[in-house]
Amino acid sequence: MNWTWFHRFGSAPYMYGFAQRWAPWFGGAAVLLMVIALYGGLVLAPLDYQQKDAYRIVYVHAPSATLSLAIYTTMAIAAAVGLIWRMKVAHAAAAASAPIGAWFTVATLITGSLWGKPMWGTYWAWDPRLTSELILLFLYLGYMGLRAAIEDPQKADKASAVLAIVGVVNIPIIKYSVNWWNSLHQPATRLLGEADMVWSMVWPLLMMFVAFMLFYGAVLLIRLRAELLRRERGASWVREVLS
Amino acid sequence: MSEFFAMSGYGKYLWPSFAIGFGIVALNYVLAVRSLASAKLQAKRRLEMSP
Repeated sequence: MNWTWFHRFGSAPYMYGFAQRWAPWFGGAAVLLMVIALYGGLVLAPLDYQQKDAYRIVYVHAPSATLSLAIYTTMAIAAAVGLIWRMKVAHAAAAASAPIGAWFTVATLITGSLWGKPMWGTYWAWDPRLTSELILLFLYLGYMGLRAAIEDPQKADKASAVLAIVGVVNIPIIKYSVNWWNSLHQPATRLLGEADMVWSMVWPLLMMFVAFMLFYGAVLLIRLRAELLRRERGASWVREVLS
Repeated sequence: MSEFFAMSGYGKYLWPSFAIGFGIVALNYVLAVRSLASAKLQAKRRLEMSP
């Protein structure tokens, strides 16, 4: 197998240029899909027979929740790649992902809470799904705090990578908490095949998932450029890109 | 139109959810752009100081 592409992504100047080129495309596609999905979810999708219009919170809650898990998993994989192959760009990608993931975990907790009040009668319960998602927020904050507390970037990379990898055990706990324990939170909704929702409800949700993923891609690429500049500010390629 | 905003009585939960969710989306973009601008400024200052 040819691994040239992998080594190319390990080069800071190559990644900086790649991020500069692709971020606007990811961002533009994300905004376009978000607008269409919002119209589909708020206007075209029919009422739910049980939850009425309250179910429409799913169009912001579920993509945020999926992103909070996907970003942590990406962060842990990037951290592992950084540790194993000593790839600085991978550590930079992990560091750039953490604040984005933390914000989307906050969005998940708040939108979930606002959905919980009319459905469960309470904004918060120490339920397995809610509690494990709150732990995810603490993992993100712990990762960022640990990085900030260690002055030497290489030591910060290593220590925070170990934390990110250990913390990934929480991801299946969040995902399967609704199956393993009694939970107020509903189990996962089937969107394809024998779907639990009609197609006019499903397509805006699938489109919003894609839009949020593309948005993460765009913001990650912007933050990655910042991270690479901070790490390599003395390098000759930085002089070239800034001149 | 008022029926749309009422969202069958759940508007007081639904609209804040969307405002916070998409507010966080917008905030993420703003914070990322500011982080890049600050990193560029720091890198330029360092380059000006070095021979």
